[in-house]
Amino acid sequence: MEVKNNKYLLENKRWIFSSLIFSILILLPVLVLLLNFFSGDQTTLNYLFNTVLFDYSLNTFYLILLTSITALVIGIFPAWVISNYNFYGRKFFDIALYLPLAIPAYIMAFTYIDILNYTGPFQTFLRNYSFLPSDFFNVDYLQIETLGILLGLSLYPYVYTASRISFSLIGSNYINVSKNLGLSTLQTFYKVILPLSRPAIISGLFLVIMEVLNEYGAVKYFGVNTFTSGIFRSWFSLGDINGAIQLACILLIFVLLLFYLEKKSLKNSQFYYSKNSDVFSRKLKKTSKPLLAYFMCLIPFLFGFILPVSFIINNTFHTFSETNFPKLFDLIGNSIFVSTFSAIFIIAIALFLLFVNRISKIKSLSFINNLVSLGYALPGAVIGLGLILIFSSNSLVGSFLILFYAYIIRFLAVGKSPIKSSIEKQPESFDDTGKNLGLGPFKLLKQIHLPVNKYALISAFILVFIDVLKELPITLILSPFNFETLATQTYLFAVEEMLPLSSIYSLIIIVLSSVMLLILKNFIDKQLNVS
Amino acid sequence: MYLEVKNLLKYYNRSYTIIKDLTFSVKKGELISFLGESGSGKTTFLKCLAGLEPINGGSISLNSTFLNNDNTFVKPQKRKIGFVFQDYPLFPHLNILDNITFNLERKYKSKLDYILKLTGLQFLVERFPHEISGGEQQRACIARALIREPELLLLDEPFSNLDSTIKESMKEEIFKIVKETKTTTILVTHDINDALNISDRILIFKAGILQQYDDPVKMYCEPANCYCAEVLGDMNKLFHKNETYYIRPEKVNISTKRSKYKIQVEKCFFQGKEYRVKGRINNEIWHFFSSKRIEENSNIYVNFPEKDLIYFDPVCKNFFKDPV
Repeated sequence: MEVKNNKYLLENKRWIFSSLIFSILILLPVLVLLLNFFSGDQTTLNYLFNTVLFDYSLNTFYLILLTSITALVIGIFPAWVISNYNFYGRKFFDIALYLPLAIPAYIMAFTYIDILNYTGPFQTFLRNYSFLPSDFFNVDYLQIETLGILLGLSLYPYVYTASRISFSLIGSNYINVSKNLGLSTLQTFYKVILPLSRPAIISGLFLVIMEVLNEYGAVKYFGVNTFTSGIFRSWFSLGDINGAIQLACILLIFVLLLFYLEKKSLKNSQFYYSKNSDVFSRKLKKTSKPLLAYFMCLIPFLFGFILPVSFIINNTFHTFSETNFPKLFDLIGNSIFVSTFSAIFIIAIALFLLFVNRISKIKSLSFINNLVSLGYALPGAVIGLGLILIFSSNSLVGSFLILFYAYIIRFLAVGKSPIKSSIEKQPESFDDTGKNLGLGPFKLLKQIHLPVNKYALISAFILVFIDVLKELPITLILSPFNFETLATQTYLFAVEEMLPLSSIYSLIIIVLSSVMLLILKNFIDKQLNVS
Repeated sequence: MYLEVKNLLKYYNRSYTIIKDLTFSVKKGELISFLGESGSGKTTFLKCLAGLEPINGGSISLNSTFLNNDNTFVKPQKRKIGFVFQDYPLFPHLNILDNITFNLERKYKSKLDYILKLTGLQFLVERFPHEISGGEQQRACIARALIREPELLLLDEPFSNLDSTIKESMKEEIFKIVKETKTTTILVTHDINDALNISDRILIFKAGILQQYDDPVKMYCEPANCYCAEVLGDMNKLFHKNETYYIRPEKVNISTKRSKYKIQVEKCFFQGKEYRVKGRINNEIWHFFSSKRIEENSNIYVNFPEKDLIYFDPVCKNFFKDPV
């Protein structure tokens, strides 16, 4: 006679039910958008198809291509040099190369426009002291190309971080074997290391592409027509909400396709190399070409951090007397408030969802759990639009509740990522031992998973904090009336051609993010040591 | 009987059953070894006993109480079963003392000194798991399980991560601890020596089915089938009176006179106390022991007492052959 397992499966039913409710709430705006898309008027879609769609698609694709190439080149090579060679200043660069992540892409774009435009220091210098044709560097002709490189400078740390960790985890065994088989250092890099690191590099690149799709401030400022700027234009400038929905849904489908391709590519190229690989015995070699190593590390740091930050500091000094300090302190308070609280909400929800997924072992729940991570791939404008469609009939739009709701949808994946990898590292026997020693789900979460994963939780908090601090489109669309943050204020000054005045706000975002990044780096190192 | 497992059925999907109709019982205070190959479902079976996996059929009762059957499922938290997992999962954020006393009822705290002394952990209580050796971690896991006075102790491959020098002493220690505390214990292992050394009874498990359940001596001398025989040690195959028989290597003697069994020696391995000889007789590989070295490619004669011959059904081998 067969035993029914209902009693066993129903053990965690309240947890599973709550987890499902959270997941549905997170997916709600996407579902509403898709519903509107399929039940809506097709004439708008036809109109878009005949007019702007091709232009938007081409620009978006071209921008992704340029940014990806830049990010790959300036992300992978320094990661390889730092993971393998010892040179003076290596430790400094290992930290410094993360720092461009502290500069939001739109601030990078505003700053470089100021540096490179006709009246800026670069062209002025060329006109006065050089025989080179200064017109050649006029960014007006190379808007999308310049923007692609700037976004690459701002986003390469995603590729750098992923490659750096992957290169460090590839132990000496593979390198020794490939050398023993007669491969040169360069051949080892191309034929062994790069293929082994492909999953990590693709994950990093996926984040870069998602950030490019989400970028609004920089593309608007450069006047490049991408999907996201198109959604904003249809909605705010033309008042065409149907057009915005149609564009958002096309973008959504594109993102889903990318998401699928990323998962498929990762599935096809999963390598399980860490166990048979001697990670700790690998010694850093002294490089025979130190100048090349410095060049590789210095270029991204110089153009991705030092130059824009120096320019912003310079502008800050010049406009210091014009700064409205009470307002500045208000905005710092507002930014820290939204970043802190949304980070707390997000890590709490992320931990809860991952924990329920782990204890329930239900495959469909795991699928839904993956699906909620999709929010990170959704541009802020799409999330904003979805939420406005749901809540437009009541007064909730423009409240903190909806603002935090949008942040949770957008950044849940950011919070989940470190917690997920930390939880996956814990053996299942921790849970089994906990149960065997009499712990129910709540005690298991509180007494085991919370303390055991504390470094991951802190890392997740910092990552979300930085992302929300830099976030622009959602805050622009959904923040309560008269509520501004450092990011929105920077943007408002920039679009009103008062860039120098925005510098102090940009600088504070950069300083706050940099400090958080340095703390994060410290925690990542601790986590690596612990594991 | 103290632990009764009846007609236990376990599968993850219906097309592949891990445990088919397993029935056996254990007396109070017995130490049982559950022997099977890697991946045969041994750990799954322990998890079923502990309530960490539901069963799909049959029943489990402990100390006259049903833990799992058609109508009952006692939560793992409520079963008084101690489980020592294979990978020694001590919580890394707690020191050894906190690990041992983790979620411990007050009534058991008075036993702490006794358990620490028994497991030799008195001077390590302040250390964290990463600061002690594998053997010490294992003892801490055993202490954590024993302090709760479990009605049943489950040990999942407790020696698999230990090197051979401390493995022997750990075996002795575990035997001493469980016998001193009179704890009914099931030890899961794939190593026959672990099972033979310390078990009261051995259960051999293959293809989801119990093959034999007996005391170690009987099991070695009277294996139920060719699989059980081979699991417990090498077997030499021979044809005798038109039937196929088997003989253990240690029962084979080198003869100075001509005999029916002439062996061509292929290899002679030095093993310290004696030599282990590998040879061929009628295209069958044989193993036996010799006190002196024998030249390779030489021919020698062997004999053995007829009473030590073991007979199995000729289809036995095919039955246990792994599907290709």
